[in-house]
Amino acid sequence: MQDANTLEAQHETGMLRESAVDFVRRNIETKKLRERRRTLPGYDAGTLSHMAELGWLGIVVPEPYGGLGLGFAEMAVVLQELGKGLMADPMLSVAFAGRVLQHGTNEALKQSLLPPLVEGRLLPCVAWQEVQGGIDPKAIATRAEADGEDVLLTGSKRFVAGAAGAGGFVVSARSSSGYGLYWVTSDAPGVTVRYEWRADETPSGIVELRSVRVSADNVVCAASEGGLAALERAVDEAAVLAAAEMLGVVEAALQMALAYMRTRVQFDKPIGSFQALQHKAADLYVQQELVRAVLQDAVRELDGDGDALERARLASRCKARGSDAGLRVTREVIQLHGAIGFTDEYDAGLYLKRALVLSAFLGNATAHRRRFATLQEDTLAV
Amino acid sequence: MAENGQAPDWNALTDDEFRRVAREFFETHVPQHLRYLSRRPRWAEVKDWYLTMSRHGWLVPSWPKEWGGMGLSQSKVLVYLEELERSGAPRVMDQGLMNIGPLLIARGTDEQRRRFLPKILSGEQTWCQGYSEPNAGSDLASLRTEARIEGDEFVINGSKIWTSVAFDATHMFALVRTDKTVKKQAGISFVMIDMRQPGVTVRPIRNIAGHEELCEVFLDNVRTPVANMVGGLNEGWNVAKALLGFERIWSGSPRQSMLALLRLRMLAKASGKMADPVFVDKLAQVTMDVLDAASAYERFAQIMRTGGSFGFEVSMLKIWATETCQRATELMVEAAGDLGGLIGNVDVEGETLDILYPFLECRAFTIYGGSSQVQRNILAKNVLELPS
Repeated sequence: MQDANTLEAQHETGMLRESAVDFVRRNIETKKLRERRRTLPGYDAGTLSHMAELGWLGIVVPEPYGGLGLGFAEMAVVLQELGKGLMADPMLSVAFAGRVLQHGTNEALKQSLLPPLVEGRLLPCVAWQEVQGGIDPKAIATRAEADGEDVLLTGSKRFVAGAAGAGGFVVSARSSSGYGLYWVTSDAPGVTVRYEWRADETPSGIVELRSVRVSADNVVCAASEGGLAALERAVDEAAVLAAAEMLGVVEAALQMALAYMRTRVQFDKPIGSFQALQHKAADLYVQQELVRAVLQDAVRELDGDGDALERARLASRCKARGSDAGLRVTREVIQLHGAIGFTDEYDAGLYLKRALVLSAFLGNATAHRRRFATLQEDTLAV
Repeated sequence: MAENGQAPDWNALTDDEFRRVAREFFETHVPQHLRYLSRRPRWAEVKDWYLTMSRHGWLVPSWPKEWGGMGLSQSKVLVYLEELERSGAPRVMDQGLMNIGPLLIARGTDEQRRRFLPKILSGEQTWCQGYSEPNAGSDLASLRTEARIEGDEFVINGSKIWTSVAFDATHMFALVRTDKTVKKQAGISFVMIDMRQPGVTVRPIRNIAGHEELCEVFLDNVRTPVANMVGGLNEGWNVAKALLGFERIWSGSPRQSMLALLRLRMLAKASGKMADPVFVDKLAQVTMDVLDAASAYERFAQIMRTGGSFGFEVSMLKIWATETCQRATELMVEAAGDLGGLIGNVDVEGETLDILYPFLECRAFTIYGGSSQVQRNILAKNVLELPS
């Protein structure tokens, strides 16, 4: 029983998938991926402007702010396809920041930041975690001190994805009245950014804030206006999107291994004819399909009007499954290839490293399992 | 037939509306003393419940209305089964309802339908399935029970094994060898046999959970009319495969693992294990595994619901659902500590629980209906397109 809306949505999703598949086919070049290692900003500027032209940076941004006003189903499809080509950066970190801004209460700020975000002219990112990481948005030491009408932010943020090339940061901080979210441009006095390198040798930002002045205009969400609720919701959404990219990584890696198993001959037979390897591949396929199934449910939840608890539970299930399956599949894909899979010149390692990045990003499987356990309702329908 | 002789048009309801009606029906009619049994009851115990369903026109969800069924669409059949399961209703003799009935409706002759279907509805005939043999398990097509034609009858010799509740069945549908000279799949026929004749011997087999539900059935010069064959001579393999369509999704439903999880949580609460962070993490893991099994199941159910079809990829459901169920029961035994060494009902801080029964029972889930290993072979060959 599908109404016209669903069919229209399916049509939309199908078209986006086609154009993303086409985009990856035209632009994929793992050689360049290797050349960009340990360079800033860690993605190709040309690719980014191409994505912006296609409207992808605005898929989940409402139309009044210049976006396409589509749903997470559409966004997930694009990220999944880009994931197959290892070329999703910096879509996810930008979408994450866009969602925090949207869930915030500062209408003027949305109007000034979201349209340039959609056009790719100003890339925001979220600076919320600190020295130990973790997914509790309240486990932070960064302070917001009132100074007349303004606030002064002091602290150190870590694991800031998309920090290189970012025009500004949504920063979480605590004050005597609670937690709040603040917009800080990257050139503001008192802001310094350093980098650590993620598993795939793309940058992860450390943002130091020393008495950084934020005017009342740039308060994304004050403590009295829901504080971190906007961030909490956006973390759930971005975690699901990370699982969508992971699904693409998993699919591409598994396909690579299957193709190899069909053609690599040992003991006079293709290695794919050996049952020990067939069963391993079948198990990886099961994991891939589980990610797909949970992702579908999670995306539907995000696109519906579910309550916050159900949203959080599904996001944690989705991210936990995605992280576990992503690491397992990309690890085993190396094993299925044998020695060639261990070399840097072969692409299997690139998928493993992207899986390591996505797995750790926004909470790994253990962190989400722990969160799920605390969120889990006492009863379970039989 | 419904009491007023006119079955309602259930498919006019939405799935959600039908779910409410089904829930209410089972809530009202399932006898209290038969709910949530931890064993499969004998026919004598559940016959009244079977006849109650039959009287109300609720016995067979999938058959068309002209044959006394509810005529439900596939998605509503799933809803029906889910609600039946949820109500804790006991399993009845269902091979006639779920397997041979639909098969006769699809592939039988009019004469066969008239002769068998009404008697299944009335409970006069109860059916069992004769597929596996001592030397034909995962390699089912190597079966050797032989049927030779004498006049207008088959004379059948051989034995079947792992036949559920054969001792309560009046009839068996079976795969038999009718040609030994051709490729093994091409020499098999599908026949229906009256069990109430000399030469049929049923021997129950006690399983590791202590129950006698599975049987070995010996067939010694047993006779059945050639008119009781479904499909043509030597076409039995394809007839049997046609039966597997629905079973492929239902055998991968998360219902068993949901139940295992429920029992595990009961134990955890009674024993105070929820205070142990290591256990809580393992519980969260297996809970997510079960919920993910439900998401995967729902994905296939949805395809079915919207009139789509799927192929061999559905094998992933059975692998994941049954192996997850086993992990849940394994965690239950581990969490029980010393109590995990005690068989039968045991006292857990005032609560009575059978800790080992779920663990032992679900060893069978990864074996029957195509073992986990056979399912992996199917995925490797048909979905992953790996060479043989």
